[in-house]
Amino acid sequence: MRLNRTRARTRDAASAARLRRRSGILAAVGALVAAVAIGSTAGAQAATSEGLLCQTDPHQTFSLTARTGYISTPDGNSIYMWGYGMSSGQFQLPGPVLCVTSGQPVTVILHNTLTEPTSIVFPGQKAVKANGNPAQPQLDTGGSLTSMVQAADATDGSVTYTFTAGSPGTYLYSSGTDVTKQQQMGLYGALVVRPAGAAGQVNDRTDSAFSPQHEYVFLLSEVDPEVHLAVERSQPVDWSAYNARYYLINGRSMPDTLAPNNASWLPSQPYGALVHIKPWDAATNPLPAVIRYLNAGRVSYPFHPHGSDERVVNKDGHALQGTSSTAPQDLSYLKYDIDVMPGQTVDALMDWRDVEHWDATTNPIPTQLPVITDQLLVGADTWFSESPYLGTKGSYPANITVNNECGEYYHVAHSHALQQATNYGAAFGGMMTVFRIDPAAGCPTS
Amino acid sequence: MTDETRSETTGPGRRAMLLGGAGAVGSVLLGTRLSFAQPTRPTVVQAAASGTAKSVHLAGTDGWVSMPAGSPPDLPFFPDSLAPSPFDTYVFGFRDVTAMATAQEVAAVRGKAQISAPMLAFDEGDDVTIKLSNLGLLMRPDLFDGHTLHWHGFVNAIPLFDGVPELSLAVPIGRDLSYFYRPHDAGTYMYHCHFEDVEHVQMGMTGMVFVRPKQNGTRVGNVPTGVRLAYAYNDGDGSTRYDREFAFMITELWSAAHYRDAHIQVSDWTDYAPSFWLLNGRGYPDTIAPNGDPQVTAGGRLQYQPISSLITCNVGETVLLRLSNLGYQNHPLTLDNVDMQVIAKDASLLRGRDGSTNYQVTNTVDVGPGESRDVLVTPRQPGEYLLYDRNYAYLGNGGGPGWGGMMTVLRVGAAGTYAPQTQPNT
Ligand SMILES: [Cu+2]
Ligand SMILES: [Cu+2]
Repeated sequence: MRLNRTRARTRDAASAARLRRRSGILAAVGALVAAVAIGSTAGAQAATSEGLLCQTDPHQTFSLTARTGYISTPDGNSIYMWGYGMSSGQFQLPGPVLCVTSGQPVTVILHNTLTEPTSIVFPGQKAVKANGNPAQPQLDTGGSLTSMVQAADATDGSVTYTFTAGSPGTYLYSSGTDVTKQQQMGLYGALVVRPAGAAGQVNDRTDSAFSPQHEYVFLLSEVDPEVHLAVERSQPVDWSAYNARYYLINGRSMPDTLAPNNASWLPSQPYGALVHIKPWDAATNPLPAVIRYLNAGRVSYPFHPHGSDERVVNKDGHALQGTSSTAPQDLSYLKYDIDVMPGQTVDALMDWRDVEHWDATTNPIPTQLPVITDQLLVGADTWFSESPYLGTKGSYPANITVNNECGEYYHVAHSHALQQATNYGAAFGGMMTVFRIDPAAGCPTS
Repeated sequence: MTDETRSETTGPGRRAMLLGGAGAVGSVLLGTRLSFAQPTRPTVVQAAASGTAKSVHLAGTDGWVSMPAGSPPDLPFFPDSLAPSPFDTYVFGFRDVTAMATAQEVAAVRGKAQISAPMLAFDEGDDVTIKLSNLGLLMRPDLFDGHTLHWHGFVNAIPLFDGVPELSLAVPIGRDLSYFYRPHDAGTYMYHCHFEDVEHVQMGMTGMVFVRPKQNGTRVGNVPTGVRLAYAYNDGDGSTRYDREFAFMITELWSAAHYRDAHIQVSDWTDYAPSFWLLNGRGYPDTIAPNGDPQVTAGGRLQYQPISSLITCNVGETVLLRLSNLGYQNHPLTLDNVDMQVIAKDASLLRGRDGSTNYQVTNTVDVGPGESRDVLVTPRQPGEYLLYDRNYAYLGNGGGPGWGGMMTVLRVGAAGTYAPQTQPNT
C-alpha cells in the first residue's frame, strides 16, 4: 500500500531535505568502489569510507566524554541523544569502536558533561577497576543501588576504568547508571578484542580467519522519540508508554546506513553499515567477511541477511567450540537469521558464492527477465542492474534514477521483526542495510 | 556462505518423489473431533514435473479467513463488518494454481487467498520454476500493490530471484514473473512476499518450503531395514531419519491492521500489537481440525486456512517437526512429556566444519522471527501431548477466555494405529 502510506504520512514532512540527503547518499554509495577499509592500524581512526573504523591507541588508552547531541533520521526527524565521543572530538552515536588486543591492559577515562552522573560497564571483562579500586555496585547511605559501578559526577566529573582485555571477540560497553534511561539515550559502544598475534582472526581458532578489508560492526539499538523529547525538555518520562519508532544500525536507519563512514551530512553518526564484497573464490578471494553484531537495545533483534548464510563462530566474546584440550571441536553453525538478544554479541563470517555461474551466452538463466513494462520498479530509483548476470547492466526507463554501477548485485539485510525494518512505520527503513557484491574483476569506475 | 561439510553425499540419484500422488489413505480418519470433510488433496503443492524440472504456479491476491469461533469482538476491527459469512478477517495470501488448466480458472482465484500459503517441497538439485501471478486485490481496486516471492534463507541467491522489489523487480497486477531456484542445501525454509514486507507478510503472504536431501531413499549408518528412508539432512549417519513430518508456519495476526487494509486506512507498523497467534494460519482449537482444500466449500469457515497442525504418529516412531517463524515475535514452543531433539537451525544441520555434532535435547525451542528449527521427537507412550507457546500471553484468541492461540496436539497411537504417512501434516 505504498502510495496511500506516503500520502497519509504527514509526519514525514521534511521531504525536500530528505530527498536532498537521499540523493547524496546514493551518489556516495556509487562512489565507494575504490574505497577499502584498512582494519586496525596504530594511531587514530583510519580514514576509510566503509567497513569498520577502529579507534586504536598504542597504549590502549582512550579518553571518552559523555555529551549531548542530535542525530537525524531518514524521515527528517532530529533526535536529542546522549553519547560517548572521543574527548578530543565531539558528540557521536554510537560511541567509538575501541579496538584492543587480548591480554593487554586497557584504560578508559570517562569525562562527564551530562547533568547527571554516568558510568561505563564492560560486560565480559574481568577484574575491572575504577580509579584503581575494584569496580563495584554503588549504594547510597540508605543502602539503595545508585550505579552498577563507580560513576563520574554530573557536569564535570571523571572516572578511569582499567582492565586487561579478555578473550577475543566483540563486547558491548554501556552506561551502568540509570540504565533504562541512559541506554535509551544512547550511551553505548562496541569494544573489539583481537587475538594476540592473530589480528586477522575473530578468535584464537585459525578457522575464524577473515578478510581484514571486510570487517564490519552492526551495533543494533532503538529509539522512542517521546522519551528523548521528554529528557530534552527535562520532563518526566512515561516508561509505561514506551514504544520504539526508530531502529538503528550503528546509530543510523536505512537508507542512511548505506552512507559512507563520516558522511558529511550525518556529522554525529560516523559509522555506515554497507557490506561490500566480491564473490568467494578459493584462489583469489578465499577469506570471508566478518560481521560483529551487538544488541544495545531492550528487545531481541532477529537480523536476517539475504543472499547468504552466515557462520556464527563467536558469542559474547567466546569461540563456539568444544571442550577438547588438544583440538577443541568446532561448534560453529550456519544461520540465515541471527537473533541477537539484548546485551549479546555475535560474530559471524559471511561470503557469497557464485554457485550457478549464470552467463548470458554460455549459461543463460532458464527464465525470462520481463520487459520493463511488465515490471514494477518500486520508487524513483533502483539498485537493480536490470540483468540476472553479475557484471552486466541492462537498460532502464528514462524516468528511473539508476544506482547500479556495473551490474553489481545488492541484497538487503534487515531485522525480521519487520516493524523494526521501518522508519516510524514506513517500510524499507529502520534496522536495515545492504550487502553489495561486485563482479570478481571489480567494478570499473567511470 | 556454503557449508563445505554438507555438500555431496552419495545417493542413488533422483528417486521417485516421496511425496507420492493421490491417496493419503492414512489421513482419512484423523481429527474426528471436529466435523470438517477430509480432502483427498495432497498437502504439499504437486509441482508439474519433468525429470528434475519442477514447475509451480502461485497466485497472489486477497481474501477472507476465520479466527477461532468464540473469539470476542474487538470493534470495529474484529470481526470485520465487510467480511462475507462465515469469515471475519481480511488477508492477503498466495494460492496454488499449478493444476489449473485455464486462465479463467486462475482469474477466479482473485479474492480467494489462503493462509498459510501452500506448502512447497522440492528435492535437492531440482530445477524449480515458480511462476507468480499477481491477481490484484478484490477489496482494494484502488491499490496497485505488487507482489514478489522471497525464498527466505535461499543460499547464494541472485537479486532477480530474491524478490526484494527495491533491489530487483515486483510483479505488477495482471502480470507474471517466473522465479528460478536450484536448491543445493536440504532443510526447512520459508517463503513470503517482500513487497511492503511489513504489511504483506503480516497480511498473510507467508508459507513453508522445504528441501529434501539427496540422501533420501538410501540406507545410511545404522538405519534398519523396513523403515521409511526419509531424512531431514544429508547426515551420513541416519541421525535425521524420520517416519513422519509436520511443518508449522508460525505467525501472529494483528486484527486492527487487517481491518485498516480492508477499510482504506493505514497502520503505523511500530504500533504492532497482535490479537491472534497462529500455527499454519489457524488458532487453537482450529489448529487440530483436519486439512482442507480452498476449492472445496465443505471446509466452511476454514476453507481458506487448509493446513492442519494436528500431529499424529504411532508409538516409537520418529517425527520431524519443521518450525518456521514469520511473525514479528519470538515463540518458545514447549512439548509436554516428550523430549525434543533440535537437529538444525535455519536449514543448517548442527554440525561443525570438523564434523562435530551438536544436536540439542530440550523441551522448549525458541524460534525467533525469520528463524527455523528442525526438531525430532520419538514418543514412547501412546497419548495426547500438547505443543504450545510457552509465552502464555500467546495462548488465547483475541483476548477471550479459554485456551487458544499457538497450540496444537501430538496424538500418539499404539503401533499400527496410523498407516504410513504419504504427505506432510497428515
Ligand atoms: Cu505481496
Ligand atoms: Cu524473510
